[in-house]
Amino acid sequence: MICSNVVSSLETDPAESSLADADLARRVTAAAPGEALAAETELYRRLAPRVELYGLRHLRAEQAAADLVQQVLVLTIERLREGRVREPERLASYVLGVCRMVVLDLKRGEGRRKRALERYAADVPMAESSSSPRVDLDRLASCLDRLHERERSVLVLTFYSERSATEVAAELGLSPGNVRVIRHRALGRLRECMSGELSAP
Amino acid sequence: MSAACGTPLGLSLLVDYWLAELAPADEERVEAHLLGCASCGYELRSLVNLAGGIRRVTRKGAVRAVVTRAFLERVAADGLRVREYRVAPGGSVQCTVAPEDDLVVARLSAGLEGIGRVDLAICDDSGRERERVRDIPVSGAHGEVVFLPRTASLRAAPAGVDRLKLLAVEQGAERLLAEYIFVHTPSPAGPARG
Ligand SMILES: [Zn+2]
Repeated sequence: MICSNVVSSLETDPAESSLADADLARRVTAAAPGEALAAETELYRRLAPRVELYGLRHLRAEQAAADLVQQVLVLTIERLREGRVREPERLASYVLGVCRMVVLDLKRGEGRRKRALERYAADVPMAESSSSPRVDLDRLASCLDRLHERERSVLVLTFYSERSATEVAAELGLSPGNVRVIRHRALGRLRECMSGELSAP
Repeated sequence: MSAACGTPLGLSLLVDYWLAELAPADEERVEAHLLGCASCGYELRSLVNLAGGIRRVTRKGAVRAVVTRAFLERVAADGLRVREYRVAPGGSVQCTVAPEDDLVVARLSAGLEGIGRVDLAICDDSGRERERVRDIPVSGAHGEVVFLPRTASLRAAPAGVDRLKLLAVEQGAERLLAEYIFVHTPSPAGPARG
């Protein structure tokens, strides 16, 4: 099981937290396997929420995104240890490549890579990705109420199931450009209201 | 707290990214940035949380909105139970909300071609206006207004009559386009007769 060795209790080392991603990556590569635990943990802590967003965007499912985080970061840290990441200063691009590969595999439903990962997983540290604060739904409903009718319609149709401006426009009989303008304005007003800056429409 | 970003992606670009509206080259650039930037990731996360919140309050029936037929198909495909009342202009329908209903929608058929602004007025049986939904999005081609009221408001409503009026608002004057009568019976109730 990949997550059998979650090291959520590992505290972030202040020395590590001040380093750039690339410095952490170099530290992992320079150390003997398993000897740069603090750097690995800090890298995991930073990269997990970023990879999770990639997963949510491409897989549109929280559990699948969580699986992606584990697989991508296990592979990335393992390759850093093996010295296979040649340009640590381009770590983000490297991780993007790994994300793409794993998403393709997940979409194909292949278990092959997962099995390979399980061999590595036993000695790669993991920390829980920091979960973001939940939205206050009562406040959100109240803020949505304060929007203009078209703004509310566009937001509901867009974000109920991630529809593009072109799709929403076709449904509402508007132009895609018009939907984009309404969407942008509505999101701005909604965010202001959620942060307590908007009192009335 | 993450370090500030020197070249923030901005809300518009993040929304476009989230909705898969970017060209492949732009998407790649945004993704490489996001995987290296905690600050922009935090912005995107806020947007994603907000989007998820909109989805959740919609599923709960906590949002009043004018929606579309295609939207109704999507919520039904998600397994939500949607009670629909279709009413013709001048028509009347017996309506209720059952405990197992997630959403209730009024489908008001109407010819709305060429009308600049349409309001929906919610009135009591005497015709007194209680609520006004202003400048609703109408597509004449679809021939109906799909109105999603708040489910909780319907559950709390006593037995009574609502008159829904579609009004054309032109040059400061209003013109009644169509009226629809909803005779509401509170839940629990027998099968709706509408
Ligand atoms: Zn940034």
